[in-house]
Order: sequence, then structure tokens, then C-alpha cells
Amino acid sequence: MKLLPEFLKGIIKQNPIFVLALGLCPVLAVSTSVKNALGMGAAATFVLVGSNCIVSLIKKGVPDTIRIPCFIIVIATFVTIAELVMKAYSPALNRALGIYVPLIVVNCVVLGRAEAFASRRTLPASLADALGMGIGFTLGLALISAVRELLGSGQLLGYTLLPGFQPALMMALPPGALLVIGGMLGFFNLLKGRKE
Amino acid sequence: MNAGHFLAIFISSIFVSNVILSRFLGLCSFIAISKETRPALAMSSAVLFVIVMSSAITWVVYNYLLIPFDLAYLRTISFILVIASCVQLVEMVIRKFMPALYRVFGIYLPLITVNCAVLGVAVLNTDMFFSRGKPLPGSFIFSVFQGVCVGIGYTLAMLLMSAIRERLEYSRVPEAVREFPIAFVTASLMSLSFMGFNGFRF
Amino acid sequence: MENKLIVTAAPHLHAHQSTARIMWSVSLALLPAGAAGVYLFGYAALAVIVTAVAAALATEWLLQKMTRRQVTLLDGSAFLTGLLLAYNLPSGVPLWMPAVGSFFAIAVGKQIFGGLGQNIFNPALAARAFLMASWPAYMTSFRAPGFDAVASATPLSALKEGHLRQVYSYLDLFLGNKGGCIGEVCVAGLLAGAVFLFLKGYITWHIPVSYLLTAGIFHYVFGPSGLFSGDWLFYLFSGGLVLGAFYMATDYVTSPLTAKGQLIYGTGCGLLTVVIRLWGGYPEGTCYAILMMNAVSPFIDRYTRGRIYGTGKMR
Repeated sequence: MKLLPEFLKGIIKQNPIFVLALGLCPVLAVSTSVKNALGMGAAATFVLVGSNCIVSLIKKGVPDTIRIPCFIIVIATFVTIAELVMKAYSPALNRALGIYVPLIVVNCVVLGRAEAFASRRTLPASLADALGMGIGFTLGLALISAVRELLGSGQLLGYTLLPGFQPALMMALPPGALLVIGGMLGFFNLLKGRKE
Repeated sequence: MNAGHFLAIFISSIFVSNVILSRFLGLCSFIAISKETRPALAMSSAVLFVIVMSSAITWVVYNYLLIPFDLAYLRTISFILVIASCVQLVEMVIRKFMPALYRVFGIYLPLITVNCAVLGVAVLNTDMFFSRGKPLPGSFIFSVFQGVCVGIGYTLAMLLMSAIRERLEYSRVPEAVREFPIAFVTASLMSLSFMGFNGFRF
Repeated sequence: MENKLIVTAAPHLHAHQSTARIMWSVSLALLPAGAAGVYLFGYAALAVIVTAVAAALATEWLLQKMTRRQVTLLDGSAFLTGLLLAYNLPSGVPLWMPAVGSFFAIAVGKQIFGGLGQNIFNPALAARAFLMASWPAYMTSFRAPGFDAVASATPLSALKEGHLRQVYSYLDLFLGNKGGCIGEVCVAGLLAGAVFLFLKGYITWHIPVSYLLTAGIFHYVFGPSGLFSGDWLFYLFSGGLVLGAFYMATDYVTSPLTAKGQLIYGTGCGLLTVVIRLWGGYPEGTCYAILMMNAVSPFIDRYTRGRIYGTGKMR
């Protein structure tokens, strides 16, 4: 059984943001700066890895009718751990991400992978899947944040890249986020269409 | 606690910080279900009902269970459990007493559990109407009212979007942007227009 | 025998009036207001207008070439969009702004939806809102009429900030002797053009009348010093209300199809404009009001469908 494809698919071919279109709520809210994006991506990956592994381990023992609530409890536990760690070691990041940290619980990517993959596959495969999806999510999130941060403030990770550029403030606001994601989804569709 | 507060919450939740167009909560269901008006209306009313119910119950749980026993860090877990139970309860009641309605709602009911808007409002309420572990005056009423307004804002966005998307079905939208991308662009322009309510003061 | 029974649903567009004719006629009707703007604000205003129109035409040409669709520059709609955008800008904006704005208007406001007739939002207003959200400082720096580039507030912004020191006579407001956007200040020019469009049958009374009537009534009722004390004429002549009511809200594509729908639409526009003007953060609400009603327009259409003859009760 090959683990590498399971890992790699989450990064491009089945990228959770651009291909599967999952977990968009936090993506748009948090993508105002690359720093925040990386923080959120790390937290989400942690939760994803933890929950995928546990779900894969307990899948045999969970009755089918209540499997979703059980998965949610597992996910919620990891989210709480992430929340507490973040509050303790990077309170600034926690403040910046706000309510979107606890909202990782209902992030479609996490529950979606638990339900669609981890509940049917072995532990190594689930781990590979979670890592791949987590990295793909973080990369996608970082890409969107880079565009928004660059256009919206002329900076990237706090460094001014384009001196004399008048930043388009809208990019840092909700309409800008929706426009960027719409544009990127369309762009990726175009690439997909060209390939076929 | 006066009428001004309620008006502020009303305008803020529905227009200025619209739950979908501004806070991005409930986006998954928004993009997925806003293609036609009837499912959009069904989903919105179910969401409104669950939000109001869970706003009330999560507030009670937070104030009388979590804070007194110093378990505030269990907020996320307990809130999601409350929401899942609310949805389960609503599903059972509707299936038993209004089977026709249950058929209309179909799969939308269980989906509400993972709707960011529901958990989001519950968490927002505790952030906004509690200060250092103590509820602010009128906290419960404001929390439930905010839940109602968020539900209304959700419904408004869904209904407008579904009418727009039904109309876009007749447009010659370029292939690459059909379905999701154009929905996001439309949402972007809707969000832009709602910015007109920024800085609202009565 | 000639068939004298022609049964069609509203809107009753006469067949011999092509889209191009209508578009160019509207642009023609806008000339007086634009000429006044250039007269009042100088060559800077002319530069903004030219840049906006050129950029709009260029964007449309580029996008249509790239997507291998027919190039339709001659139908006058890109020209009109550029013109309307320029009319909504202050005269002192750096020239890259109308260029970027026109690009946004044509690319995001129109072509991405499929082109002419398919867009949901008024492209010029969408672009104005985009420019306002992105570069608010430039969009709120107005000049007083005259050759020196003296900074000035608009009547509405001065009112909102509570220091209406300069007293505007109604004639000032009517002719355009005030700070404001290039094409919105000269109410006289705008009305002249509107009369032309009425006579030609290119716009109907429903939207402008319901819009202005609603706005006027609400401004009168919710006056700044107690109920029923509002100076409605001042408010009607200020800001972009006349420009919006006659030229932007009446856009066929983004407004409802039926007469009843149009009345609802116009009323909504009026209401939202006044609400934002009086209690919102921005001094002027016309742009956002119309955009919001654009979003509601498909919804209005859905529930005010004309009766289809021969069928039973409407669902």
C-alpha cells in the first residue's frame, strides 16, 4: 500500500480549498495576513492529524448511527488542546484568529476527512492523508493571504515589498476576500480545463 | 439595556457584519445550497430555529455550568455537543409531528450541526456579552436576540443569493467561472454594497 | 388582414430601438452634466472622463479578444460605463484611479457575468464602491468649483460632520456651484438630459419618480431638528441622488422588469439612500442603495412576474 500518493494528493490534486472547496469560512476570515494564515494552518493541521489518527484507531468500535457525533467529540478535544496551547504560547495569534480557532471543530475539511477517509482506512494511510490535506490547506491559505496582504497593504509578512504602491484597502476587507477566492477558483478551473 | 442596544445588534448582525457576507460563517452551506430559492428558504428557516435554540441553551450552560465550575476551557466541546443535541432533537420532533416538513428539509437538518454560523454565534455571544467571567446586564436577552438577528441575516443573504443565482442560470457565464467562482464574485459585490451600512449610529 | 393584436409582456421595448441606439442616447443625454462638470472643475475633470472612458473601452476590447467573443465596442455600453464612472468621481483623483476603476467595472462588473445584459450589479457603481473601499482618502477629497484646486467639502459631507458653514442657495445646488463628483453636481444638466430620455421613451417614470418621491418624503419627515422639518429640496439637489435616480437606477439590466417591480425597486432605493445619509457612516448613500437594490432586483422579479395569459391562478 502506497502512502506517498495519499500524502501528495492533498497538496494539489485534491487540495481542500481550491479543488474540494471545503473549510472556506476560516480561510476567508483569517487570510488578511500570511502570518495569521500560517498560524491557522498549523492549528488546523494539528487537529486534522490528531483526529484522523484517533478516528482511524476507533473506527471499528463506533456504532454507525452515532459515528458523526463521536467524531465531533474527538475533533473538539483536539481543538480545545490547540486552543489552550495557543492561548498559552502565542496569545497575540489567538487574539488575531479570534472565534475561528474554536470554529476548527466545524471546519468541513477536518470532519470531511474523518468521515470520508479515516473512518475507512488504516492508521498510516489516515496519517498520510491528514498531513497532506493539512499542508495543502495551509499552502492554499497562505497563497490567498499573500495576495490579499500584498494588494491590501503592500506588505508581505510585515516587509514592505512595493514602495510607492497605494494599497487597495478593499483587499483586506470581506469583499476583497470573496473576490480573491472567486478569482482563484476560476483561475484553477481554467488550469484544470486546459489540462483536459 | 435600551432600545438603542437592540437596534444596534439588529443593524449590525443583519447588515454591517452580516454573518455570511462579512463574518464568513455558514459559507459552505451558503455556496452549496443557495442555487435555488426553495431549498435556500428551507435551510434558512431550519438554521434560524437551531441558532435561536442553541443560543439560549449554550448561554445557560456557559453561565451556570462552565463558569461556576471553572470549566470555561471546555466551551468548544460543550457548545458543539449542545448544538448536535439540539439538531438531533429538532430532527426527531419534526420527523414525528410534521413528516411532510421533514421530507422538505431532508438532509439539510444534520448539516446544520457543522454550520459555522451556529457555533459561531454561540461563541460570539460569550465573547460579547460576558466580561471577565461575569455576564453583562441583559446578557441572556441580548444573546438570544443576536441569535435571531443572525438567523435573519443568514436568511436574507440566502434568499437574495438564490434569486440571483437562479437568474444567472440564464446568463452566458464563462465556462471557468460557472458555479462556485461566480457565486463568490456575486457575494463579493453583495458584501461591497452592504458596506454602505458601515458606521451606523442611531 | 393585418394582425392588429400583438400580445407581449412588459417591458414594451419597440423593436426598432436597438441596444446601441439606447446606449449612445444615454451618453448623449449625459453630455450637459459632463460639460458643466468640466466647466466647474477644469481640465482635471476632463482628464478623468477621458481616462475612464478609454480604460473601459480598452478593457472590454481586451477581454472580448481574450475570450474570443465578438468585439462589441460600438454598442456604446462600455463607453457609457466609463462615462458614468467618471461622473461619480471627484475631479482631483490621480488618473490611475479611473483606469483601475474602469477595469474593475468592465471585468468584474460586467464581463465575468457573461457580458451585456447579464450582469446583476450596475458596473459603474460597483467600481465606485470598489474605489471607495480601496482608496477612501482619494475618493473623499473634493475640490471647489473654479480654477484653483481648492479643497472643499460637499454639502452632504459638511452636513454630516456638523459644520455646514457655507450657505448654499438652491440655485447653487441646482447649477452645480458646490463641491462634489464631476457629473453629479449640475442638477440642471442632468435634468435636461433626463427630459430628453423621457421624450425618446428610453426611460419611464416609475423608477425616478418612486426613488425621488420616497427620498424626498423621508428627508422631510426625518428632519435634523425634529420630525417634519427636513429641507427636502436641499437633500434632493445634493449628492448623487439626481444622477442615480435618472441614469443609474434606471439601467434596464439591473432593475426589475415589471412596472410594479420598478416601483418597489425605486422606493427601496429611496429608503436606503435616506437611511444611510441620515444614520450611516457615509455622507452619501445613493451608490450603496442602488447596489443593494440591484441585489434585490432578481428577487423582486421572481415575485412580481406578470400573469401569463391562458394559465390559471399564479403560484
